[in-house]
Amino acid sequence: MVVRALSIDARMKPIMPVDPEEERILRFWTPVLLRVILVAAVVLMALGTSLTLLVARDHVDPASFRHPALVHMPLTAILSEVIEGDANAIATLGLMVLTLVPLVRVAFCFLLFLKERSGIFAAFTAYVLAGLIAGILLGRIG
Amino acid sequence: MLELTGALLVLAAGAGFAGALSGLGGGAFLVPALVVLIGLPMQAAVGASLLAVVATSAGASVAFVRDGWTNLRVAIVLECATVTGAIAGAWFAGMVSPAFLEALFAVVMLQSAYFSMRKRDSDVLPESDPLCERLELGGEFPGDLGQPVRYGVSNLPGGSVIMVLAGVMSGLLGIGSGALKVIAMDQVMGLPLKVSSATSNFMIGVTAGAGALVFLSRGDVIPMVAAPVALGVTAGAIAGSKLLPYANVRWLRAGFVVILVLVAAEMGWRALGGV
Repeated sequence: MVVRALSIDARMKPIMPVDPEEERILRFWTPVLLRVILVAAVVLMALGTSLTLLVARDHVDPASFRHPALVHMPLTAILSEVIEGDANAIATLGLMVLTLVPLVRVAFCFLLFLKERSGIFAAFTAYVLAGLIAGILLGRIG
Repeated sequence: MLELTGALLVLAAGAGFAGALSGLGGGAFLVPALVVLIGLPMQAAVGASLLAVVATSAGASVAFVRDGWTNLRVAIVLECATVTGAIAGAWFAGMVSPAFLEALFAVVMLQSAYFSMRKRDSDVLPESDPLCERLELGGEFPGDLGQPVRYGVSNLPGGSVIMVLAGVMSGLLGIGSGALKVIAMDQVMGLPLKVSSATSNFMIGVTAGAGALVFLSRGDVIPMVAAPVALGVTAGAIAGSKLLPYANVRWLRAGFVVILVLVAAEMGWRALGGV
């Protein structure tokens, strides 16, 4: 393995020394969060898809791919449709839960960095979180 | 409906399987399959693909994070660039013609084919450059004998520029842009290839998630299409990753290069109005 050398300015000290406890929490809890949310999303999507195959045969018109715009309904309305066993609503909720994967993961890092007073990394994660929320708003306005 | 859902599950499983074996992710195969074989509009295919990419990234990155291959700090810093690009790309995707997206997809597939042919491990930096040193972006990965091997990171600005581009491509085309991300980290920032791949995999979820949120809230996602697609891709990706250790990577790579060139030709032909 060839090794490339880089000149390092000896005066440059790390401004964010890695905290082993912070690293341990990230490496333990990040996979847990990813797995739990993914499993919840997969269960809901599988339920919605299965119900479609069993009962709901009219939600998608294969010719035009038109569908009820559930994503624009309030969450409470979607939940009431889910309780009634509507396949499309269950699948929509599964997709919404799936989009929580990046949101929750970034929010978790943001809170951890705040707690550990890692200012710069809290700022980086706050920017990413703001970007994800901006994506929702941007989609709503077209 | 039964036939459509079944076809979506099978196609998505195949795309996830191919994506895991090739290392390119499911989106590279899924979007053309949905457009060409199912006849979905390009925007709807991109929206479904982005959600599927979020699912596969979450599933695949768990082991890499736990085992120490993923550089979480590098991922967090570079996600600022990829999310910015992804939101811009996803927003722009709602305004451009499907022909433009198909033409761009063809170009990106050719780039991925080229990258697959010349993929190689690069040198390991012993130390980080001053900026990366200040941010403590260097890390360790498990060596062949289990011993920790230290590596440095350099050229954060250069890597960030490519990451913005990777984000734009992800939001526009519904792909993870893993190839571009690995180029940025491995070739530009000097991270080891496996660390680059693991970190890219981890970042893909947030990049695709940013684009998916735009598509979902804009109403460009068809739940009864996107749900079976996400399920199929995830199942296919799990199967592909299980088979990967036993596969002949050299032959696989050659086969996938041919497929990517064919996909590029088909999408390019459609963009030119050949369908």
